[in-house]
Amino acid sequence: MDIALATLLSPIVLFFLLGLGAALLRSQMTIPEAFAKGLAIYLMMSIGLKGGVEISKGQLGWDAGLVMMSAVGLSFLLPVIAFALLRLTTRLDRIDAAAAAAHYGSISIVTFVAAGQAIAAAGLEAAGYLVAVAALMEVPAIISALVIANRGGVSSEVVAGSDKGELAREVLLNASVVVLLGALVIGWITGEAGMQSVAPFFVTPFQGVLCLFLLDMGLSAGRGLRNGWRQLGPGTIAFGVYMPLVSALLATGVAALNAMPAGDAALLITLAASASYIAVPAAMRLAMPKARPSIYLTLSLGITFPFNLILGLPLYIWLAKMVSAGVA
Amino acid sequence: MHVRYRCELIIERMAAPRACRILEEAGLTGYTVLPAISGLGRQARWNRDTDISASSDMVVVVSIGAQDQIEAALKEIESLLSNHIGVLSIGEVKVLRPDRF
Repeated sequence: MDIALATLLSPIVLFFLLGLGAALLRSQMTIPEAFAKGLAIYLMMSIGLKGGVEISKGQLGWDAGLVMMSAVGLSFLLPVIAFALLRLTTRLDRIDAAAAAAHYGSISIVTFVAAGQAIAAAGLEAAGYLVAVAALMEVPAIISALVIANRGGVSSEVVAGSDKGELAREVLLNASVVVLLGALVIGWITGEAGMQSVAPFFVTPFQGVLCLFLLDMGLSAGRGLRNGWRQLGPGTIAFGVYMPLVSALLATGVAALNAMPAGDAALLITLAASASYIAVPAAMRLAMPKARPSIYLTLSLGITFPFNLILGLPLYIWLAKMVSAGVA
Repeated sequence: MHVRYRCELIIERMAAPRACRILEEAGLTGYTVLPAISGLGRQARWNRDTDISASSDMVVVVSIGAQDQIEAALKEIESLLSNHIGVLSIGEVKVLRPDRF
């Protein structure tokens, strides 16, 4: 209960709620688009660097490798489960269900960052290699969704004007993957000494920048929800809430099998429970252009992201503590 | 003044490179891509502010060319619009320097 209250009353969640409320009340407030993109890159650089520095202290062993492989497997598997649940419980057609399912196998880096803050507030610590896990979980879900869609023959046609390498470039070289992995490697190479030299920019202002970004996320989520909620039926809305819980339970099992410490387990569970709204929507527009963005974006950004941020995080930390206690 | 044809394609940002490739292959020698801010389509309202991935942003591709060039691009653009969200319109315009189009 204390963790839930501390999460709910943290500045990042309150700024998110401010943005969400303002957008739902039709406030005209905006954060300039280029500035918001800059903030996203800043956050990814910062957590990539911090993760790289932690790895440079010698954290990357076989255990970490096993967790990475398990996480990739989870990212391949989750869209299959999400697709089956969407087809069973909603009226979405195959293409919309496959596109939405891809979002639930991939990850939300902002939810990951918020989880990092929440586990620190709960007195837990997480290993730096989890940043690499986050980057690795961006892509497999997209491949799973393409396979699902292709089995129904809905995404195999060649679109006029398309270029052979464009989808591979978008999937493998999108900003999240490049910046996260790039900053991780830079942090690994430069170590603690390198981090000290950039700490005034990447460490001290981090919390404030995160608040600003969450305010923008709240505005985006609120406006997306206001414009897109009519496209979602009750079954689809319910999916946006129960699918993160299904993913979290599966990830809890993976964390238990790998005997992960509570902080690491909390981040892995959060990654599995989160839904992408940056890398996957862009890939879906290229790979499955007939899928409706008003469905998958409203679902991942308007329903699942607020749910995870406000109610999910305390639950995932609790699950991680249970796993850790059980393992110990 | 000389008569040419102006093709205006409102299309999702992610598909704009595909549209531009089609225009180039049809022999059009130039085009301009402009950002769109918000709108209402058959399925939903859209707004640049609501999509943090910018993947559902829309852009406007404007190109001016001779009738045969525009007609050469039309079939492929029609095929592109059967997959991607967009609207195409073509109109007659008058240009000062016909050798440029």
